[in-house]
Amino acid sequence: MSVVFDGSPLKAMQSSHSHTAPAALSAQELSQEIKSFISGVDAVQGRKLGVREHARCAVRLLRSVPACRGAVLEHLRGVYDEHVSTFLHNLETEGNASSGSASNLEDIIQEVHGVLSEFIRLNPRAWAPLVSTWAVDLLGQLSSKHAGRRVAPHSSSLNELLQLWMSCAATRSLMEAYSQCLAAMLAWCPDACVDALLDTSVKHSPHFDWVVAHIGSAFPGTIISRVLACGLKDFCSHGAKDQGPLVEKGNRVPKIGSVVGILGHLAAHHSDSIRKELLRMFQESLAPSTPLSPSSSSTSWEASPQLRRAAVPFLLQLAAMSPNLFGAVSSELVELLRPAVLLQLQALLQGLPREELDNMLGLAVHLISQSPTGGARVLRFLADTATPASVIISGPTPSPHEGVREGCDRLLQMLLLHLHKLVFNRSEGSEVSPFCSTSSQPQRVIPFLEELRSHVAPLCAETLRLERKRHLWLHQLLCLLSVYGGPSVATETLCQLLTQARNPEELALAWQLHATLSSCMAGLVPAAVTHCVAQIHTHTLGRRQLRQLLLNLAAVLQSQDEEKKAAAAGAQSSMAAQIGSAVSVHLHDFGPLLLHGDPAVSHAAVRLLSCSPLPRTASPAHLLLLSRAAVTHFFLALRRRGEAEKAGQDAGQSSEAVSCSVLLLTRFAAYSALTLKAILQQLVEGALHKGNAELFGGQIADMSGAPVASPSVSPDLGASLLDINCRFGTTVNFSGSVWSVFHAGVIGKGLKARTAANLLDPSEVIQNIQTLLAVIVQCCSSSSLNGSQSPSDPEEPPPINAEAAKVVAVTLVENVCPDVANGELSWPPEEHARTTVERDIHIRRCFEAHPVLFHLLQVVAAGRPALCYCSAVLRGLLATLLSHWEGSREASSTDSPWHLQASCLLVSCMGEGQLLPPVLANVHEAFAHLTPFEVRLLLLAVWEYVRGNGPLPQKFVFSSDKGMFCRDFSRDGDVSRYVAPIHSVLHKNIDRLGHLCWRFQL
Amino acid sequence: MGDIRQSLLPRDVLSAAKELLYHLDIYICNMVQSGRQPPQVDSKTLDLIEEFILHTPKDRNTPRMSALQELQLLEIMCSCFQEQSRDTVRQLMFSALFNLQGNQADESRMALLSKLVSMAVAVGRVPILECAATWLQRTHRLYCVRLAQVLVDDYCSMVPGSGPTLHNIHSASPRFCCQFIAAVTTLYDLTSEELTPPMELLQMIVSWIQDDPRLVLITFLNSPLSGSQPISSLDVTPLGGLIRWCIKAPLAYRRNKKQANDGSSDGELDAARLFSALHLSVLQVFMLLPNILNEKGLFGRLALLQMESVAALTSDLSRLLDQADKHTHAATSDTHAAPQLALDRLAQALQVAMASGALLCSRGTSDLLQLVLSGPVIPHAAHSPIPAHPTLPPHTPHTPLAAHPAPHAQYPAQPFMTGMPFPFRPGH
Repeated sequence: MSVVFDGSPLKAMQSSHSHTAPAALSAQELSQEIKSFISGVDAVQGRKLGVREHARCAVRLLRSVPACRGAVLEHLRGVYDEHVSTFLHNLETEGNASSGSASNLEDIIQEVHGVLSEFIRLNPRAWAPLVSTWAVDLLGQLSSKHAGRRVAPHSSSLNELLQLWMSCAATRSLMEAYSQCLAAMLAWCPDACVDALLDTSVKHSPHFDWVVAHIGSAFPGTIISRVLACGLKDFCSHGAKDQGPLVEKGNRVPKIGSVVGILGHLAAHHSDSIRKELLRMFQESLAPSTPLSPSSSSTSWEASPQLRRAAVPFLLQLAAMSPNLFGAVSSELVELLRPAVLLQLQALLQGLPREELDNMLGLAVHLISQSPTGGARVLRFLADTATPASVIISGPTPSPHEGVREGCDRLLQMLLLHLHKLVFNRSEGSEVSPFCSTSSQPQRVIPFLEELRSHVAPLCAETLRLERKRHLWLHQLLCLLSVYGGPSVATETLCQLLTQARNPEELALAWQLHATLSSCMAGLVPAAVTHCVAQIHTHTLGRRQLRQLLLNLAAVLQSQDEEKKAAAAGAQSSMAAQIGSAVSVHLHDFGPLLLHGDPAVSHAAVRLLSCSPLPRTASPAHLLLLSRAAVTHFFLALRRRGEAEKAGQDAGQSSEAVSCSVLLLTRFAAYSALTLKAILQQLVEGALHKGNAELFGGQIADMSGAPVASPSVSPDLGASLLDINCRFGTTVNFSGSVWSVFHAGVIGKGLKARTAANLLDPSEVIQNIQTLLAVIVQCCSSSSLNGSQSPSDPEEPPPINAEAAKVVAVTLVENVCPDVANGELSWPPEEHARTTVERDIHIRRCFEAHPVLFHLLQVVAAGRPALCYCSAVLRGLLATLLSHWEGSREASSTDSPWHLQASCLLVSCMGEGQLLPPVLANVHEAFAHLTPFEVRLLLLAVWEYVRGNGPLPQKFVFSSDKGMFCRDFSRDGDVSRYVAPIHSVLHKNIDRLGHLCWRFQL
Repeated sequence: MGDIRQSLLPRDVLSAAKELLYHLDIYICNMVQSGRQPPQVDSKTLDLIEEFILHTPKDRNTPRMSALQELQLLEIMCSCFQEQSRDTVRQLMFSALFNLQGNQADESRMALLSKLVSMAVAVGRVPILECAATWLQRTHRLYCVRLAQVLVDDYCSMVPGSGPTLHNIHSASPRFCCQFIAAVTTLYDLTSEELTPPMELLQMIVSWIQDDPRLVLITFLNSPLSGSQPISSLDVTPLGGLIRWCIKAPLAYRRNKKQANDGSSDGELDAARLFSALHLSVLQVFMLLPNILNEKGLFGRLALLQMESVAALTSDLSRLLDQADKHTHAATSDTHAAPQLALDRLAQALQVAMASGALLCSRGTSDLLQLVLSGPVIPHAAHSPIPAHPTLPPHTPHTPLAAHPAPHAQYPAQPFMTGMPFPFRPGH
């Protein structure tokens, strides 16, 4: 059945019935008719009237005897009721409403409807109020009465209800009649009909709601505004009553309840109109009063100043009662509150008594706290408005009037207070720890805070702007939010603050927050750090944020150190300590950041790691990863320092990064044997690595002798057969055999070109080498392996640890001399060196390419007996040097500077490492004054000694008084045998070497 | 009579009312037979009526009658009055039921009475109408007007096609009809749109009077000449009200038309024609008067037209003219016609009334018409629709009317105590 009101069925019925209007009856007949109607018995024939005949009789009376009007309408109630009953009964029994006696009554109902609608049409003024009241009342009665029927849907399912009732002829007819009345009455007394509707709605709610909903959707504009106006009037009179000494009578239900109900129903489809209407009401109530405004009729509420004044409280009350309506308005209301409007509002509210104002304020606070959406906007508005105007900081809105500002200030404070109460009364009895109480009881939801949960980040950002009062409010709010939201929000907040703070003052806000929350929330800091780490992992933080976070964490840790230094660390530092331990747990998560592409980030990371405490336990995998990252970062830092210096920039940060890196490596190396070993290994490897070699003055030598690819060609990973074939000498490995193939160039093109290395500034190289050595030395000396040996003299640097030095040595050998054949420690006769020529040349080139190797050797030498493990390298180098000096035809050894230097360094190293007795070790002092052949003689003596007295670690004995291993040369064979060539050379050159003679005394 | 209350209490509303009516009938019959003078129903009985028929809420929370029960009660009453053969008893009973007592029961009394009369009109219960006519004579005009209002609403506006039923009352009960006209003319004084008689009613009245001009005099003819007319009851004849209608109509209808621009000119023409006919009829009634008055020996002694009401009418008229003047700056011939017509009718009515002895006034020093013309209207003579005397019709009487000096002294000072305040207005 159609539920559409287009009036056409009504007209059809009217026309059909106006023709059949009975001819005027005589007085006698009318009298009979009345009797029949009253008794229900045909007065003439004496038989009982059926329902239909009775109804027809009633309709005739309605048409002819005005005095019967009331009685007829009352009788028709019964007819309608009967029809509804039958209708529902049919539905229940057959599920088919079209059969049975219901259809019999349907024509009667249509007849009645026709008559009524004709009357209404002819004389709306007289009939519309009458019929509307009757129809509404009857509808209410019918809806309530039949609400419990089996087929009747539950009153909450409005649509089904509407469908059911609109498919019933009786109720539909009533509805149409009412609509007609309403349409007629809207022109001249709209309040009356809406009043009736509201009254009935109150009486028969919720079964009557479908009527209101239907009417409302048929006349949305008018119904909404009228309902509001009615409610306002009622509210106003009630309000007046409440203030008087009279206590409100219980029997009088305020209409506001049904206003809320009706608007709530309409909100589903007409929320837009409702919102507009509510906002219009608000605006109109504020607009300057124009008592003689021609547009507004005298009945509208705008004309009455009293009603206007009540509008705002009324709207608040309305909003308080219906979340729907509130939701509809709240979002746009804030937009409306421009300064001009605020001034008007203030002017309006100034007239109200204090008590009422307080009530309103309380209501507003309640509403805000219950608002499910738009909370952030409201908050910003309040904060903006309440923030005092300032010359320095100008908010987004022009500064409002002072009174308005104070009002907002007060509102905001009340809001905070209210929220505070809500939050802390919420979990009564389970205050031990929200962490364990979350599941114990369902907690009351505070929509305002619920919504703000997703706005934590902007809130934090705003708080950190540290604007006057604003940050105090916001900080308080953040505290409440954290307590409310439990650990997740708290950690989020803390995390945000940690991420966004840019200076100590801002960072202090995080401590304040923690101080407030720590009492009621355990494990906050670790959770926050974990959260930060998670964010790092998911790459949700930008570079700047990431850097800021790391720096902030580092700052906390540093402050902890300072606190420790300053005073006995009490509860104050617990926060820092907690952060420290939390960070230490996640060290391996921060590790990769050392290698972050952004120098700033990696700098921040190294700063954090360098001051973070180390975890008590850690898995080897993590440690290795960390150490690798740390070492890689070290080289990166060195490179950056160099670049920064070259670019002439402020090198403070980069050199600080280097020092942090050094500190990190040192501390990390001291952590465990594993880390020590890993770090040393990687340091050495790194220093010798192709990419880093130039840092330490090295040149990338092409060991294979293949032509050097031009730098523009990108390294081709794909294997090319041509390329491999060009690398002559690598395709077939001849090492270890008697064959040695050297590639000196392509025939016709001359010797192959040496690499044009971009050499660094020597001073820089020196600096880098120093840094590297410092790191290695510190690592080696501070290692925990020699923890028992406290340095006897604090002035003296702690000795190099033997084990550490051995690590360096072994790594060094592995890198310099990958071929392990003939890798035994003891030396063969010098002649045998020719079997290892290729390897020896490789070793020499290594030393040529990496000057830092000598320094490393020196370190190793200092950590006796570690140098023994470098035996192969030493031997190889010495062998090439010997062959060089042998073949050299220069007049003086100084003509081959590198070889001279290498010889000197080699011998001095071996002396330091106690592979040579002091007599032999001193020979290098004479090298510079000798001819190449003489140098060779001396070096041969060295070789012979070492061959005779193998460089074996077991020859070293730990001497506890020195705190290091020492070799007792007296146990070895006679040294004098080896000293003879030295003396010969001395004799030969006594004129120049006289001053050195004492060095070679046995 | 008071002792039956206990027996009535347990009954349901309807049967209690029925029984009370029965007892009341017997009681009044006895009273009349015993010849007690004056026949007066005692207060206990009145209380019972109020309690059981009118259902005035007293100490016990009386259940209200449903509309159906009320209809049954009305039906019973109708039969009751119909079957009572003795006029005196019937009249006494009617008075007992419906005479106003000035208490809170009056409202429901009026409601019940209105319905009863309306029903009696519908089903042609002459005795009830006769009783109601008497009631209308004796009751304050305020209540009379309310009754008339109900009837007009019922028959002229609410139920279409029921006008003929009301029309029949002039044959059924001329007395009631006469009183009804008096009440209706009092009610509709043409001061606003709501107080303009519906067209149907106007037609009805015009046709009544045209058919039988004596109708308006029925009450006057039938009532004894004693001066026992209750204070502020309706006028003995509706003549004053009818004159007011005829005179004010041209201006009032024009104003209404102006307010509602869509007013059909047909209706206006009809109304104009009807008022014209009515005016003639009224003048004819005046012409009948000298004979009747002479028969009664009252010529020159009884003023059927009260001086105060004429004075009020002239003041109203002058106000209307003033308004008409203000509203028509672009004076056309048409705009002049209506005031002219109104003044013509006033003049005619006054002249005929004075001549027929309905209006008693001696020719005095002040000329009423002159006052009308020189009242607040004239100051801006240039715009006046009646710029000068020469334009007046030649038969305009220049007879100075000597009215009571007091109102004349006050007259120019506009806030005129008309003696006819209308605190009652329909539609509130």
